[in-house]
Amino acid sequence: MREFEFLEPQTLTEALAMMSEYEDDACVYAGGTALLLAMRQRMLSPGFVVSLGKLDELREITFNPAEGLRIGALARHSDVARAPDVQAHYPMLAGMAGGLANPQVRNQGTIGGNLCYADPATDPPSCLIAMDAEVTIAGPGGERRLPMREFVVDFFTTALEPGEILTHITLPPPRPDRTGLYRRHLRTPAEHRPVANVALTFRDVNGVPEDVRLVIGAAVPVAQSMTRAEDFLTARAITLDVAAEAAAMVAEDIDPISDGRGEEAFRRQVVRAITRRILAEAAGLNWKDAAA
Amino acid sequence: MSGKRISLIVNGESVKAEVLVNRLLSDFLRDDLALTGTKRGCETGVCGACSVLVDGDVVKSCLSLAAQVDGKTLTTVEGLGRIGDLHPLQESFMAHGGLQCGYCTPGFLLAAADLLSRNPDPQDAEIREALSGNLCRCTGYQGIVDAVRNVAESTHGN
Repeated sequence: MREFEFLEPQTLTEALAMMSEYEDDACVYAGGTALLLAMRQRMLSPGFVVSLGKLDELREITFNPAEGLRIGALARHSDVARAPDVQAHYPMLAGMAGGLANPQVRNQGTIGGNLCYADPATDPPSCLIAMDAEVTIAGPGGERRLPMREFVVDFFTTALEPGEILTHITLPPPRPDRTGLYRRHLRTPAEHRPVANVALTFRDVNGVPEDVRLVIGAAVPVAQSMTRAEDFLTARAITLDVAAEAAAMVAEDIDPISDGRGEEAFRRQVVRAITRRILAEAAGLNWKDAAA
Repeated sequence: MSGKRISLIVNGESVKAEVLVNRLLSDFLRDDLALTGTKRGCETGVCGACSVLVDGDVVKSCLSLAAQVDGKTLTTVEGLGRIGDLHPLQESFMAHGGLQCGYCTPGFLLAAADLLSRNPDPQDAEIREALSGNLCRCTGYQGIVDAVRNVAESTHGN
């Protein structure tokens, strides 16, 4: 690992000043689980590592029925998974965070660090997009909010401008009629990064989905809402045939990553399978009842 | 590059040290504190051989800077048990064939200790999930799962 200066701002204001001062030569350091690997492999060699370790206010997870959930960017995945408010009101999020990577990484990696690193082979982006999350970004000019779907823009690239720091992730208040599921596909149980994942939320109107969000992650460079399938599924009772048709649509509409962990054709088939299964599961059907 | 003065508790003892800021926690423990029970395996966060407890939570010490654990409380395998006074998990790993070459064992012990501290009576699936960040190339894992389950059962009385 190349040499660097390790800066430990005591306040967010101080951290923002450091990021503005050192610009491209600075990296924000949260848990370090991803950044440290990139630095040791010399893919990144920042001259200044700005550790947010002292900013305890960014670890807080708060819930309020009127405003929803607010997660500090430095909350670790295990903090999110174990927070009673998350478990009670956002079980889909708790399940995602509690199954991410492995226990050691969940105990050190942070949700904000995960989003800012923007590695496609991960869980939170698709799940958070399907849950209508927003991110709060602090910068030299003040604070701005962005829908999660606009935050990650490309491979390892976010909408953060130089000098900005992600501070919070917010979720709207839970709705009793809104339901959601998140599923990931690993090639083996010991693999820590999904080759594909799918997040589904919808408003359940007497067994018929409305306001459908169907988001694919990990198989594609940026987690993506599958709008054609969302429209197709709206106001249509889910049967195994409907699930299969929507899944075929999704598999056709994505432009998958093709790399050593999975070629394009393989990822397309995995996405089709996990989409069909999550839709069947959401409708209380057993996907094994139908071939294909 | 500047150094950083850190102060922490390791296996119950207060430690003060001056570290280079790019010093990995795994190197600090092994090379500076001579706690060589913590193993360096893949050094890329995959194998879990370097697992230690930081404030009671299992983490991989190759994915952490020594500078990050300033003010924290650490447990390495040396703090889990000692010769003549082994931790129940260590006894159980021996009794159930939870190890062969032993290189991965310190990491597995600490991951298992973290699990049992939160969930004293885990199901096999929960044991396997809790150990999913650790690789063993000898045992095939069944002996390790048996060892952890046995500690849970003997301390939980069922």
